[in-house]
Amino acid sequence: MNNTAISVSNVAFYYGGLKVIDDMSLAIEAGTSYGLLGPNGAGKTTLIRLMVGLLKPASGSIKCLGKTPSPAVARQTGYMPQLPALYSELSVAQNIDFFARVYGLNNREERSARVDEVVKLIDLWPKRETQVMKLSGGMKQRVSLGCAIVHRPSLLFLDEPTVGLDPELRVHFWEYFEDLTRGGATLVISSHTFDDAAHCQKLAFLRLGKVVAEGTPSELRAATGDTGSSLEDAFLYFIRRDEVHKNVG
Amino acid sequence: MSGNALNVARRVMLQVVRDRRTIILLVVVPLVIASIVGVSIPDKSMLDYIAPAMLATLILFFGFIITGISVLRERSQGTMERLMASPISRMDVVAGYLLGFLLFALLQTLIIFFYMVYVLDISFQGELWQILIFQVLIGIGAVCLGTFFSVFARNEFQIMQFIPLIVLPQIFLCGVLWPISQMPEYLQWIAKFLPLYYGVEGIRALMLQGQGLLDIGRDIGILAAYAAGLLVLAALTLRRGASS
Repeated sequence: MNNTAISVSNVAFYYGGLKVIDDMSLAIEAGTSYGLLGPNGAGKTTLIRLMVGLLKPASGSIKCLGKTPSPAVARQTGYMPQLPALYSELSVAQNIDFFARVYGLNNREERSARVDEVVKLIDLWPKRETQVMKLSGGMKQRVSLGCAIVHRPSLLFLDEPTVGLDPELRVHFWEYFEDLTRGGATLVISSHTFDDAAHCQKLAFLRLGKVVAEGTPSELRAATGDTGSSLEDAFLYFIRRDEVHKNVG
Repeated sequence: MSGNALNVARRVMLQVVRDRRTIILLVVVPLVIASIVGVSIPDKSMLDYIAPAMLATLILFFGFIITGISVLRERSQGTMERLMASPISRMDVVAGYLLGFLLFALLQTLIIFFYMVYVLDISFQGELWQILIFQVLIGIGAVCLGTFFSVFARNEFQIMQFIPLIVLPQIFLCGVLWPISQMPEYLQWIAKFLPLYYGVEGIRALMLQGQGLLDIGRDIGILAAYAAGLLVLAALTLRRGASS
């Protein structure tokens, strides 16, 4: 049985003539959390936007749940962009309710119950009728997550989901992400912090639009040959190795 | 119309309703403009000539600017990108905006209409429902025009610059303030390519000459063609995000 949720095969993408994704290939196993780790400009957001179908590859192919990204596939996916991307005049519940409707939760009672459930899950029940414009940055991030998960997607794309969150909330988010993967969902998470990376079951280190290394956090640490190395050490090790390969080539 | 177009329309209406200042402005601004028109034109026959044209002009103006800014904000705050990653189609988004804003445009039409007829005492011989239907047609064109031109703007300041480019020339060229027969022939020729010309001709026929919708088939046909063309252009050019 094919257990691949996402396959990226030899994908290239250009922004105004500049190659930002360079012949990239990845396979993401269903029911896992997969981290895309790299500095700004590594291609993390572009790769996620390609996977959700917002951009089309210049060459190569992407399959999500066995199909090319399309509105039909989108019903089973959730997307939390880097910006909170919310309607500031609407309340917390109204924002989540709108995305519930867009994703096809048409039964009024079921939708209402699910929206309440999500508002409680993101710990904003006392603020459910508050306009989003009156919330703090961390609260907006929580609402944004709520909008992405309200339809119980089997594939969830999270672009820098923990940026701007305080440590307590970050822990809360990661507990929830782990619950989702235990329930069978596949998570693709972009980040440039090594704290986040350590929570992912598998990681790809990205640099200049290329995957420089892929594996579990412990495999990547072990590859450095130093048992006491951190993920940051591992990242630097692979970056240097990639540079050496380039220079030799 | 798909369920998602209705979802977008519902959300657009909720956004306006939850913004009290916008609601007040939507009601007050048309009254202020109608009052200025009434006070500044003391000659009754001239007021009768200009007032119906203002009805068509204001729906074009407000439809264009409100939709242009709303679609632009949808892109700049990232919600358009989020929508485009969902099962919703571009046509659903444009149709939702059309439906949502048309209700407010009709509300403005009613306010201006009753103010002009009962306060400014302009002559009126037609049927209100026919005027409303005709205004809807102009409003559809205005909403699509706003959606389409928002593609070319990166911020609110830039979309405001389209007013002197898109709306003002139509006010001067389309017979709103004076008959186009008084203009040079080449300008009369240009006027016949502009949608407001048909809006002004049609609304004057409905309000002043007591004609019905069937009598202004040419104006309705050309405005409908404009609206359909702009609807397709708006849907085709709707971009997902500010950076794409």
